[in-house]
Amino acid sequence: MSVGRRSSATERLSVLVAVLSVPAFTGMWELVARSGIVNTVLFPPPSTVAVAVLEWIRSGQFFADLMASLARVAAGFAIGAAGGIVLGILTGRFRLVSSLLSPLFHILRPIPPIAFVPIVILWFGLSETGKLFLVVWGVFFTVWLATHIGVQKVDRGLIRAAQMLGTPQPQMLSEIVLLGALPYITVGLRTAVSISFYTLVAAELAGAFAGIVYRIEIAQQNMQTGQVMGGLAALGLLSFVADRSFAILAERAVWWR
Amino acid sequence: MTPSLLRPDQPLRLVDTYPPSAAARQAIIRVEDLSIVFDAPSGQVIAVDRVSLAVAQGEFVSIVGPSGCGKSTLLNAMAGLERPFGGQVLMAGEAMRKPRPEIGMVFQQPHLFPWKSVRRNIAHGPRALGKPKAEALRIADGLIEMIGLTRFASAYPHTLSGGMQQRVAIARALANQPSVLLMDEPFGALDAQTRAVMQDNLLELRERINATIVFVTHDIDEAILLSDRVLIMSAGPGRILRDLQVSLPRPRTSAIVAEAAYLALKRDCLDLIRSEGRRAFEQMEIKT
Repeated sequence: MSVGRRSSATERLSVLVAVLSVPAFTGMWELVARSGIVNTVLFPPPSTVAVAVLEWIRSGQFFADLMASLARVAAGFAIGAAGGIVLGILTGRFRLVSSLLSPLFHILRPIPPIAFVPIVILWFGLSETGKLFLVVWGVFFTVWLATHIGVQKVDRGLIRAAQMLGTPQPQMLSEIVLLGALPYITVGLRTAVSISFYTLVAAELAGAFAGIVYRIEIAQQNMQTGQVMGGLAALGLLSFVADRSFAILAERAVWWR
Repeated sequence: MTPSLLRPDQPLRLVDTYPPSAAARQAIIRVEDLSIVFDAPSGQVIAVDRVSLAVAQGEFVSIVGPSGCGKSTLLNAMAGLERPFGGQVLMAGEAMRKPRPEIGMVFQQPHLFPWKSVRRNIAHGPRALGKPKAEALRIADGLIEMIGLTRFASAYPHTLSGGMQQRVAIARALANQPSVLLMDEPFGALDAQTRAVMQDNLLELRERINATIVFVTHDIDEAILLSDRVLIMSAGPGRILRDLQVSLPRPRTSAIVAEAAYLALKRDCLDLIRSEGRRAFEQMEIKT
């Protein structure tokens, strides 16, 4: 049928366009940069960026930077998320705990984590603890709020059914409430993945000795714009991969939906 | 009882089916002068108003009434899920303040744990009570066979039909071998055909288990078919109007609904409910 043929032709065309999109954009960038319209020192062509990235990898610094950044994000995310989930379950489930903590958390939560950089430097200097603190801070409140709301939205029927079956309180919290709130918690965790990368930027700009954002800053000071752009691309790719893998993981975690 | 609940225009009714009859003397459930009050934006609402009743060991009692008459609230109080405002609920002589595993409950919705297979849903209760895993699963397997879902033992709730889910919910409630089974419109969300099958299943099940059953429904046919006794409730505030013995022979099947004795009983119920409905309606008219 002609309609079917046309739609499959359109589909093939859009796949082709999608595949060519990034190379075309990169090609145009290369042309513009080499045409002399712009200053190549400030706006280097992608070939220069690629050379800088290759050099970065070959020197072994890339791997060290990647590991330093990943370790900060992973540790900060793990601590912040664990704390957020535990406290979210407690404030979501127990009125008294909520009365105690929620007002405080609601005051602290809207302060952008980046604003804590000055005080963090005073408290922790340039140590890893300070960087961890910033990432944890950013992740914790997001996960806490998502968990707190999720716990309150847990199907009351499930909780009543579990109560009638004699479910003891620890199992009620760690199984029924946690899994019941999991759809909300995973949304919070996914948002927190992006936030952990935002706060990583602040943490490394505040002073570090390794890391992807640290490398970007050093390259900027040396006018190595190719390296700066390579660093940005690496950061973008890293947080993209983290977000996608988390999305897949989250879908499997709440498989019964 | 606080004075706010007493209205001067109505005499204080102490009891409905209390003091105890011969059956009630060996009652496993005693509801004594129970009142339940809810806080609503417009003030306090009396959901259950000084209800007393008794259910004997092994009896099947239905509570029938229009929606909003407080019959579910009354059942929740028996389950320990609702706190009495006045009076008390005694289960085997002990006041209900919180849910107890020897009191099972089946809700209108199955409320199965979606992350657990049929087998593990049913095993949840025994596990929660500290039984070893192997024993809990053995209990579950026995019940799965009884409800005829052996093929679906490892299926997850969202893959089952509504009727199957409700059968699992009943099996789950029975896994703790409750002495009392409370059922809150358990077949209310099912289609007519499935409901009829489930009613026959329950009648069959009843012959096999030893539990006392309190069954809430708004369906008079269902109540008469299943019960030894039907309590008819009035709305606003919830009270028990009448206590009807259903002396139809057992074992019964849904074919009973065509018999004369059944129809006479049903006519009695309907008359009562109709006049009560009119009274409630007129009262509402006067208020507004």
